[in-house]
Amino acid sequence: MRVDVRALGACNRLAERGAERAANALGELTGSDLAVEVTGASVATGEDLAEAFSGRESIGVRVGLDGGLEGAAVLAFDAEQIDGLLSVLPGGSSMGRSAVTEVGNIALGGFLDGWANYLGRAIDMTPPRYFEADGAAVLPDGALAGDGVFLFESRLDATGTDLDFSIYMLPDSGPFRDLVVGKTATAATAGAEGARGSAAGANATAVPYESLSTFASLAKRGSANAADNIGMMTGLETTVDVSRLRFVPLADVPSEVGTEPHAGTVFELQGKPSGYLAILFSEESAAAIAEEMLPMEPNEPLGGMAENALCELGNVMTSGFIDGWANVLGTSISHSPPEFVHDIGSATVSPLVASLSRRQDYGFVIDAAIRTEGVQARCDVYALPDERELAAALERLSET
Amino acid sequence: MSHLTPSGDRPVSDRDDPPRRVKVGVGDLAVSSDGAVLTTSGLGSCVAIALVDPATEIRGLLHAMLPSADGDERRTPRPAKYVDSGLDTLVDELETSGASPGRLEARLVGGAEMLDLTAAVGPRNVERARESLAAAGIPLVASDVGDAVGRTVRFLPGGDLAVRAADGFERTL
Repeated sequence: MRVDVRALGACNRLAERGAERAANALGELTGSDLAVEVTGASVATGEDLAEAFSGRESIGVRVGLDGGLEGAAVLAFDAEQIDGLLSVLPGGSSMGRSAVTEVGNIALGGFLDGWANYLGRAIDMTPPRYFEADGAAVLPDGALAGDGVFLFESRLDATGTDLDFSIYMLPDSGPFRDLVVGKTATAATAGAEGARGSAAGANATAVPYESLSTFASLAKRGSANAADNIGMMTGLETTVDVSRLRFVPLADVPSEVGTEPHAGTVFELQGKPSGYLAILFSEESAAAIAEEMLPMEPNEPLGGMAENALCELGNVMTSGFIDGWANVLGTSISHSPPEFVHDIGSATVSPLVASLSRRQDYGFVIDAAIRTEGVQARCDVYALPDERELAAALERLSET
Repeated sequence: MSHLTPSGDRPVSDRDDPPRRVKVGVGDLAVSSDGAVLTTSGLGSCVAIALVDPATEIRGLLHAMLPSADGDERRTPRPAKYVDSGLDTLVDELETSGASPGRLEARLVGGAEMLDLTAAVGPRNVERARESLAAAGIPLVASDVGDAVGRTVRFLPGGDLAVRAADGFERTL
């Protein structure tokens, strides 16, 4: 069975519409303006998810799904935000649990309406169940079992109030697989009708379904290697906090990076796949890690000496990252010299997104937060490979 | 992704609060005829084109990533992703909202050369924006473009465009 990776993009669009409905429903209830910040589809193993959610406490509701989609969906607020949420709800903090259940019900209903509308089939939702959960227990039942589950995640942001929340939907893999494959057939037809489209063109991004779990290992191997290299270079204990590979609309990547100032390095990747890799630190983290690497305290926190140190660090991280990929994919990938960046985070990545977006609307983003012990420094790695070349590499992998 | 898409189907708020703020995402656009503040952040090599009809104060903001839709391999490219198709769409949306295309004036921001790796994108976006505006007969009344600095803009109800650069420098166009 083959799946067009672009079909995952189409599914992502469904999640996006659902999230917009949820935002509108909740906006009307609370009287705040809500915007969908990020919607992503990820493939992750149970183990990765457990790591990614470790140390987080969530409050929310969960529902079971039947009909157009089967599986489970969860709406979760970070436990720390719950007071902020209650303050904007009718009834205020006295409502507590019932308010959260009501909000969850409305937002999830909106979210699923978006999907049902697109699928042309009703989705039945079981009554919402309130929960308070530690770590990955927030995720729908079954998320931690098996390898390579799909998870749709949307983050909504209230422009006037502090009210972020996430929706996680875990479709049962059998029916969802059929849905994805159905979309693949649609994508192939659309490609054949296109001016330049041909059967070959439509298949350029198709990979065997089984290869999808390889995506998860790309994220993991790459970031683990990068962390090891930092450890060797700096002597600092280094860990990878989160490491997932997600399908996101490229246009969402800048807003995901955010508008805070960042410093770091950007690389162009050459080989199979080509693409870009950006390693971004907050200014404080960048200054802290640079100071740790330098023999003496630099004259200015992010001046020339720090720039050199960060470029050197970027070099070893990137080579670790792409070695990890090359090992998984059995290809060779090289990288350009580092380019130092220090600006608004989203402005830094927007030229990379622009450059890729002529050929693709969706990107595979690898998020890896790498943390060093002793020094308060963490960074985010955004890897943006060319989707066709990545699909081709996965395809070759499955043939061997 | 902005919640006011080219289809513009979001219900309009009728509250008396401070002006509503509408975020315009990358490759997106929004139109306001109700005094909302249109914002877009993290402009690097992208350009923001802000259009206002001073008589009606109907305004629109586009955040485009690439110069031209020509050569897009997909069947249905997102028009707001490109300067040329995005400007056409924005003018159409403004006209639908009651603005007169003949009265529009433009402000242009962004197009920085953020990275050596992709240096050509910013200047090409600016060049195409100037050409497209000229072709549409829309006067460019102010601009803040180029350099290697990220920018954030807020398009205010009267038609002023507040620009804040990553180095903290602020100006109003």
